Amino acid sequence: MFRLTCRVAWASLVRRRTRSIVVVMMIAVSLWGLFTMEGIYGGMTEQMINSAIRSDSGHISIFAEGYRLDPDLSRQVNNVAKIESQLVHAPHVSSYVKRLKQDGLVATAHYSRGVSIIGVNLLAEEKHGKLQGYIFKGEFSFGRKDRGAIIGFKLARKLHVRIGSKIILSAQDSHGEVSSVSLRVTGVLKTYNMALDENAVFLAEKKARELLAVEEGVSQLAIILHNDSQVAELQQKLRSLFPSLEILRWDELYPALLQSRVMMDGFNLIASLLVFCVAALGIFGVMLVSVLERLREFGIMLAIGTRFSQIRNIVFVESFFLGFIGCGFGSLFGAGTLYFFKVKGLDLSLFSDAFDEFGMDAVIYAIIRPSYFITAFVAVSFATFLSVLIPLRVLKKSKPIEAINQV
Amino acid sequence: MNTFLTIKHIGKTFQPDKEVEVVALRDINLDIERGAFVVLSGPSGSGKTTLLNIIGGLDDATAGEVILDGKLLTGLSEVELSGIRRDHIGFVFQAYNLIPVLTVKENIEYIMKLQGRSQQECDVRCLEVTQKLDIDMLLGKLPNQLSGGQQQRVAVARAVAATPKLILADEPTANLDSKTAESLMNLMQRLNEEEGVTIIFSSHDPLVIAKAKHSIILKDGKVIADERTG
Repeated sequence: MFRLTCRVAWASLVRRRTRSIVVVMMIAVSLWGLFTMEGIYGGMTEQMINSAIRSDSGHISIFAEGYRLDPDLSRQVNNVAKIESQLVHAPHVSSYVKRLKQDGLVATAHYSRGVSIIGVNLLAEEKHGKLQGYIFKGEFSFGRKDRGAIIGFKLARKLHVRIGSKIILSAQDSHGEVSSVSLRVTGVLKTYNMALDENAVFLAEKKARELLAVEEGVSQLAIILHNDSQVAELQQKLRSLFPSLEILRWDELYPALLQSRVMMDGFNLIASLLVFCVAALGIFGVMLVSVLERLREFGIMLAIGTRFSQIRNIVFVESFFLGFIGCGFGSLFGAGTLYFFKVKGLDLSLFSDAFDEFGMDAVIYAIIRPSYFITAFVAVSFATFLSVLIPLRVLKKSKPIEAINQV
Repeated sequence: MNTFLTIKHIGKTFQPDKEVEVVALRDINLDIERGAFVVLSGPSGSGKTTLLNIIGGLDDATAGEVILDGKLLTGLSEVELSGIRRDHIGFVFQAYNLIPVLTVKENIEYIMKLQGRSQQECDVRCLEVTQKLDIDMLLGKLPNQLSGGQQQRVAVARAVAATPKLILADEPTANLDSKTAESLMNLMQRLNEEEGVTIIFSSHDPLVIAKAKHSIILKDGKVIADERTG
């Protein structure tokens, strides 16, 4: 019987080609738009999160207790070797870096500003967060004898410095004395992490230790994992091993980014609901007309011995076919478009100033998540199911002979 | 007499707006033999189609009983009635009423499929019936690609293929020219004789009436004549 149901439903779709194509197109175009929007917005959020992880927090950061509230040189992570021995053997860890940080002042001949001085090992940062990918101007190097500095692009703008410009970096060292160093700008970074782009001055770790008179210890250990699903597990493990340290996840360090992800998911959900309402109303309209205009046909079927439940199944299967094919085409177009934007990126450089203001890249790389397609399939199936309930109710109220006599 | 169908005190009143009653049938009593070739005739509005619909379980009677092959149809549920229509009754309508999205073959096989017959069985029976009705060359066509006469033959084939005990034909020749109508009637007569199916026509076509072995005449919802000639 199921084969007959499918055969009659399929025959009805094929032989009412125009109607079927209209419904399929309606579903496909709605889903295509929805997938594209979800993938682009998702990509935008993930890029911001990814930037923060790569350039600063890693998936997990380790600080000395109290450092985040009062970032003083006296609050350093000192048992670095012990921590490193754990990280080297942890299978989830992809890479980690050590950073020495201190607030200070940068001055040029005309301007001065408060900055965050970050002593780093460029080679390690290159392997860790591929920081060189953020180089906007100049080079990813501190030059000969480590006398260079790499600064954020917004800071460079505010200081009116260019590659090769001289800057004086001053900070309080570990003895409480003011110490200075003269550096030349070798590179400008655009990380889309506003804190870094506006305030960061990167210099060689060795140079930073000289400036701050710190021989050992680090301010931050940033760890990147192979898979972000293992973050909580590693955090727990490290916390149990080093209870005196502050061990924080990226979302604890950048709660605003997590909120923007949640907000974007909520926004996508609302957009999805709207799209599905529109699609469901469209399918409902078409199926209602389709059932009503076929009352006579269904009446004939009832008259010659088809049970109402069998006709109901035919209508359900027909609407399911429409939904399934529409979903298939929508997923195909949507996945194709998202793949294109995932590889090539959606270039919105025309609005780059606005994007810079919000710390976002003007080239957005879409993401593709299986959940988009699974949710859409379930929702379309549900929408098509609901859309035929009222037309079927109309049919159930009609007697076969009344239905046959419909003109 | 081997009674196949008994109609006892059947009455039918329509209430289109609940104030005005239209009495379509009044106290109809009939006995029809197994394998009979029956014609219900009478002027328009005499109740022929209403009576056929009640016999076929497509409409409810206001009063009375219909007993088909010993089984009381009155009061059965819609599911039970659809089972009886599927397994025991074949319908041939004035307007053919083929399923428009199915091909001729699919239309003919449809009821057999509902009965749960295998595809092989359907193929054999379909070929046998269509050859008998001379429509075997039309199997792949859709109803809207056929002439009126061809559609009516397909409707007969659909009704016959499922091997019903009873065929109800409501003015089957009304939309056909006289030559096609005669050919269809000869065919129905042959099926009646060869397959032993009881056939009840409603018609006011003299050609159909002339072929009947049992003629029932209705007027204003009453039986005014009930004659057996065969």
